[in-house]
Amino acid sequence: MFHDDYIAELKSRTDAWRTECHGRKKEFKKSFRTLSGIPIEPLYTPEHLAGTDYLRDLGFPGEPPYIRGVHPTMYRGRTWTHRQLAGFGPPEETNKRYKFLMDQGATGINGVYDYPTLRGYDSDDPEARADVGRGGVAIDTIKDMEILFDGIPIDHVSVSLVSCQPVGNISLQSMYFANARNRGISYDKLTGTSQNDFLLETAITIAPGVLPPKASFKLSVDAIEYCMKFVPRWNPISFAGYNYREAGCTAPQEVAFCIANAIACTEDMIRRGYDVDSFAPRLSFFNSAHNDFFEEIAKYRAARRIYCRIMKERFGAKDPRSLMYRFHVQTAGVALTAQQPLNNIARASYHALAAVLGGAQSVHVDAYDEALCTPTELSSLTALRTQQILQHETGVTNTVDPLGGSYFVEYLTNAMEERILEIIAAIDDMGGIVKAVERGWVHSEISAAASEYQAAIESGAMPIVGVNCYQIEDEKLPIELFSSPETRDIQIEKLNRIKKERSDSEVQKALDAIKRCCEEDGNLMEVNVEAVSAYVTEGEITKTMKSHYGVWHPPLY
Amino acid sequence: MTKRNRMLISRLGMDAHWRGSIVVAKALRDAGMEVIYGGNQMPDKIVDAAIQEDVDIIGLSSLSGNHMILAPEVIEILRSKGINDVMVVFGGTVPPDDVPKLKEAGIAEIFGPGTSLKKIVGYFKDQGYL
Repeated sequence: MFHDDYIAELKSRTDAWRTECHGRKKEFKKSFRTLSGIPIEPLYTPEHLAGTDYLRDLGFPGEPPYIRGVHPTMYRGRTWTHRQLAGFGPPEETNKRYKFLMDQGATGINGVYDYPTLRGYDSDDPEARADVGRGGVAIDTIKDMEILFDGIPIDHVSVSLVSCQPVGNISLQSMYFANARNRGISYDKLTGTSQNDFLLETAITIAPGVLPPKASFKLSVDAIEYCMKFVPRWNPISFAGYNYREAGCTAPQEVAFCIANAIACTEDMIRRGYDVDSFAPRLSFFNSAHNDFFEEIAKYRAARRIYCRIMKERFGAKDPRSLMYRFHVQTAGVALTAQQPLNNIARASYHALAAVLGGAQSVHVDAYDEALCTPTELSSLTALRTQQILQHETGVTNTVDPLGGSYFVEYLTNAMEERILEIIAAIDDMGGIVKAVERGWVHSEISAAASEYQAAIESGAMPIVGVNCYQIEDEKLPIELFSSPETRDIQIEKLNRIKKERSDSEVQKALDAIKRCCEEDGNLMEVNVEAVSAYVTEGEITKTMKSHYGVWHPPLY
Repeated sequence: MTKRNRMLISRLGMDAHWRGSIVVAKALRDAGMEVIYGGNQMPDKIVDAAIQEDVDIIGLSSLSGNHMILAPEVIEILRSKGINDVMVVFGGTVPPDDVPKLKEAGIAEIFGPGTSLKKIVGYFKDQGYL
């Protein structure tokens, strides 16, 4: 963007400034680094962007390489979705929380499911007995899905199913679609997103009975294929970098693993015979907003440029929507503290600001009590209000990509891009993300990063207010904690009633169809939508699939 | 005198968060503990594994909120089998009110969110395991 002569002069002037001016003052640390370890200079100038070509590398919002944003007007014309996560207890209770949040101005639903549901277990399974209704809402049959969305206009509201892993997603997504069909809502009216990420199942959130990586990955692609054919406005997958980050990834790993996963899905869909532009516009991403403000912004911007180039150059995508890295952000739960919990309001606000300055399409702000319990009504409301304050009061929405052109942010975006591309290349060399999981590489990379993070906290290199500095001895909690409502008995009672009322022969027919579909390597979404309609439970579906695919023991330790 | 120091670390029930348990397992291993990582298990299986592996300590981990149901069960099953010399500790997200209840149930120590590895390793040193 600058002439060589100008850069040369700038360089010598900067050197002079460094020795004569800056060099004489003391700084707090010998070296400054981002959270992921990228060294930071005291000052950035045009010298750092000497190789940057504005039109080639930055361009305009709504145009490749989309670094400045995926929409031409960004928040001047389209607000990010205020999508607050909610889910606990039986569906009857979560339905009330959804309605409460919508009444308070939330513009999308973000539904999280309890541990057994995510893993494909019914509420009456002995293995699940202590976890029903915890961490999310319990869903066993389509009846629960009907209750969960009762009175909510799902033909108008965009709904995110935080279904985590493909093993649970395939039942949940089937129930959601079948429930819409029962309500007389046609599939082309449905807008929303499923999480459906095989990395969550096999590497990130390990629980009992993990499907082998290949099988879990196959289920995720089945959902992509199904939606491409029948539910055109649904995002069938959301590569869950957020969760990778929570498990311990660095910022570059978070994006690299997301994009490597998207590459694998794209390759598999092409192998199944589809044109890249027939499904790629609906691939979507989910990222974290962690503590290092500028690194996070650089991360989102770098992700957009890398993804655009990969989809275009590697896969020949032509539809502009296939090239767009569209993403939801959740503020980092792992950055919250149980100590002095109200401080988390300040943390989550900075995180949300980074998400918005980074061009997110949708944001969830964590509640201040999340290091301690499921959010209460008050803490969820405060989180929603944080978004509303950010949107309406701060003026950050007035121009597109306001930090674009900052010498530091552009430099950091380039540095981030370089690191992300290195990791993607390493995964390519291993034969792709599924193989990288199978051999335990992903697990060991993440746990090494998690140990480093903890070591930085312990050495004091990473100050965390209230934890390793500014602690309060014998702190008394200033907040009331949420306790999950009774769930298991309510769910078991419903399950028993449904099992009595449903047609056993229909159920058997549906389970046989799933078994046959596994054997013939067909699309399991198609048979599962019919199975859930016959009131087959999620646990029955999962057991049938596992009897074919078996289970896998992830190499965690 | 240093006691034997074989330890089983298991995550309770269906809890899916492994980060803390793995970071702690590695830190204890580096401090000289012999750590066996059990993954997710229900209380009866945890006790079976503890007996089979002949451990001195069981470390339970959970962030899901299932601790008040499952952690005391581990103690009950141990006692019902006449095992009184295996120490059980817990790490994870626990509301402050549950801490005394878990201790009363026989959990020797609870390490809540934000506990440093130094403190955890120090605890086992003080108890004579390291």
